[in-house]
Amino acid sequence: MLHKSASTMSNRKLCMTLSNFLRRTTLFPQNSTLNLSSPQIKLSSSPFEIQIPNFHKPTFYDNSLEFLRFSGERSWCSKSAEKLQSSGSRCWNCDAVPTASESAAPFLFCESCQCIQPVDYSIDYFQIFGLEKKYDIEDNNLEGKYKDWQKKLHPDLVHSKSQKERDFAAEQSARVIDAYRTLRTPLSRGIYMLKLDGVEVDEEQTISDPELLAEIMDIREEVEEATNSETLNHILSQMQEKMQTWSTAFADAFQSQKFEEAKTSIQRMTYYSRATPARDESMKPEKERLKPG
Amino acid sequence: MAEPAYTVASDSETTGEEKSSAFPEIAIGVDIGTSQCSVAVWNGSQVELLKNTRNQKMMRSYVTFKEDIPSGGVSSQLLHEHDLLSGSTIFNMKRLIGRVDTDPVVHASKNLPFLVQTLDIGVRPFIAALVNNMWRSTTPEEVLAIFLVELRAMAEAQLKRPIRDVVLTVPVSFSRFQLTRIERACAMAGLHVLRLMPEPTAVALLYGQHQQQASPDNTDSGSEKIALIFNMGAGYCDVAVTATAGGVSQIKALAGCTIGGEDLLQNMMCHLLPGSQSLFKNHGVKEIKSMGLLRVATQDAIHRLSSQTNVQVDVDLGDGLKICKVIDREEFEEVNKSLFEKCESLIIQCLQDAKVEVEDVSDVIIVGGCSLIPKVKNVVTNIFKGKEPYKGMNPLEAAVCGAAVEGAVASGINDPFGNLDLLTIQATPHAIGIRANGNNFIPLIPRNSTMPARKDVVFTTTHDNQTEALIIVYEGEGKKAEENNMLGYFKISGIPRAAKGVPEINVCMDIDAANVLRVLAGVVMPGCRQPAIPVMEVRMPTVDDGHGWCTEALNRSYGGRLDLVTVEKKA
Repeated sequence: MLHKSASTMSNRKLCMTLSNFLRRTTLFPQNSTLNLSSPQIKLSSSPFEIQIPNFHKPTFYDNSLEFLRFSGERSWCSKSAEKLQSSGSRCWNCDAVPTASESAAPFLFCESCQCIQPVDYSIDYFQIFGLEKKYDIEDNNLEGKYKDWQKKLHPDLVHSKSQKERDFAAEQSARVIDAYRTLRTPLSRGIYMLKLDGVEVDEEQTISDPELLAEIMDIREEVEEATNSETLNHILSQMQEKMQTWSTAFADAFQSQKFEEAKTSIQRMTYYSRATPARDESMKPEKERLKPG
Repeated sequence: MAEPAYTVASDSETTGEEKSSAFPEIAIGVDIGTSQCSVAVWNGSQVELLKNTRNQKMMRSYVTFKEDIPSGGVSSQLLHEHDLLSGSTIFNMKRLIGRVDTDPVVHASKNLPFLVQTLDIGVRPFIAALVNNMWRSTTPEEVLAIFLVELRAMAEAQLKRPIRDVVLTVPVSFSRFQLTRIERACAMAGLHVLRLMPEPTAVALLYGQHQQQASPDNTDSGSEKIALIFNMGAGYCDVAVTATAGGVSQIKALAGCTIGGEDLLQNMMCHLLPGSQSLFKNHGVKEIKSMGLLRVATQDAIHRLSSQTNVQVDVDLGDGLKICKVIDREEFEEVNKSLFEKCESLIIQCLQDAKVEVEDVSDVIIVGGCSLIPKVKNVVTNIFKGKEPYKGMNPLEAAVCGAAVEGAVASGINDPFGNLDLLTIQATPHAIGIRANGNNFIPLIPRNSTMPARKDVVFTTTHDNQTEALIIVYEGEGKKAEENNMLGYFKISGIPRAAKGVPEINVCMDIDAANVLRVLAGVVMPGCRQPAIPVMEVRMPTVDDGHGWCTEALNRSYGGRLDLVTVEKKA
């Protein structure tokens, strides 16, 4: 079972899931190594079985083997909002069913007992923010929603609660940060959308199109040779224009399910974003201006 | 991170469950400053600063060693100037803690009126107090612990309950190693560190509370406010950019460095008495006395220059050495020009890191002892085009008040008026990575990442049939590994024999919300689905004293035999 889904992915991908593995393993004694062949250790349901003398103990989560299965996310499609509602999840703590207002949002937090729920990886990043899975989300107050979640889920707020819930908090909070970071910029948002549809974008792929390669080299050269803020700003606005063009191309291609085209657009965006002068450099003239007197 | 050897009161240790059943203990907030300390606690409706028996809210951070019983600035009678000048009083411990004797900050501390000796070999410096004409060696941790014991006793007497949990403020620039030293000092004093908060983030939390109180119904985050916090005390200068809405403060960026009032003072001492450093090199009783006298006179002059445009310095250092000089404010500013420029660039860097323009900043908050210096205020407000600094915070009490609020929030205290409906989302002040590609530093978690943070990167071997690899973890911004602070190292063994570049060594770093850093390393061979060896997980930092030596020793013993490189981008 474990190998079935893993067999389809490259080693590299397997390797890349170490952080997921970290998230989803059981509570181990400090400094122990993680033996993958050992049977799963279930997180104790009774708070008194685990003695945690301080807050700094590392915490791991259920199912040490699940990381190998995590590749399954590749083929997950975003569930529709209706499906989410009918999933029939109940609070692990008080067994309450999400209230009407809650069921509109993903069930990460139980309003009736103020309890953080375990991470449900079938809830995608768009659902976390109550968004439709679409590319154009610029005006949706992402930061505000992100902060609202953190105010419910952040580990700092559950210091005095059970270890189990503190683990949920750590995991949920981290996931909301990931979600926010991913959806915030068009490029990472696009890559994530493709991933939800099972299309992997290799960000490290080198440029094979000689024309594009020449263009990127030219841009880099221009940036290096730019001596004043005007030139840099000019390059910057050119880059933004190109980014915008390919961003639109991506949105169109994705809309019409042309995933190969969408992928190409994303790769273009990756190249241009890398060639774009670093903010440090573009800010240099600004710094001069800021100097008093 | 407290070491077991020092863990005190372990039998009274409670799990979270037991705690919530009883009335929750409120953690106190402690601000250990380079020159002054304060303690504050949430009293149920607001933050209250605790006072010592002399009715002081601000207590000077020093410990005097006399006979067998050391005493600190909390309980002892007013510091007799004579004590400060006799070599028996140790202060500035916050500047010295967790530093080795090659550190420039330690070198700059050599003309303090007690003994700081360096051998420049990467070990802890020799610090000693003069007791009955004999040097009694001590450590910054010990001095801090003695001081914390007094603070604890004071707080317990006033709050009439045992104190165990504390939230301490720390400088942004502290390395993780330095943080462990602070934790150790607390453990020695029987205190449990609930949280170490970078100073400006404590101020950010307090600011978040102010915003919340000003418009409590405004929970929708459309009203986000960005504030820049500049905190300069006697030892450190810190900057933070925070975005606050609905009681949640997100730390956008942090920047900090080791400059403060102490440096202004040192520069002024050199200005008043050129060559004073070499003059006081031999640390005789007489020299210590002169050193102390000069220090007191210069400090006094700097304080007066905050309200006067010029001051008269008149001091007899003994041995026919007299200083009689008029100093004006311009002179003071000129002498410390480079320090003020550094403050300025720190703010600009922080704004850049936060991707925030000057115009976006709603409030500029200037706190810390140095905020009383007109030039410091000017430097900050000039960047913000003359914007008036935020009022409504006591610049000397802001950090400790923020720590007390965090103490209440972290202890799970509820306030019926929503005054504790707050959260600070922290960011990492330093990049963390490993040594690879020769002697380069490869950051995994960049500076100013939101916490909790997690990242993994694939590395590979540099030699054919390499069966072991050394993971050396560093913290800092330098491109070369040795320009950064080493946090620790461990070896992964049992890599299956293969040509170089074949085994994939995945290194994962994880920082949780409590700022605990863990490093995981696993090996995967092409064509295998299981890791080749058990994934190794190590909590950092692992190094203790003498970490300056480690790198050299490791290099000497292993050379490049256990090196790693980042995986080349495949065509």
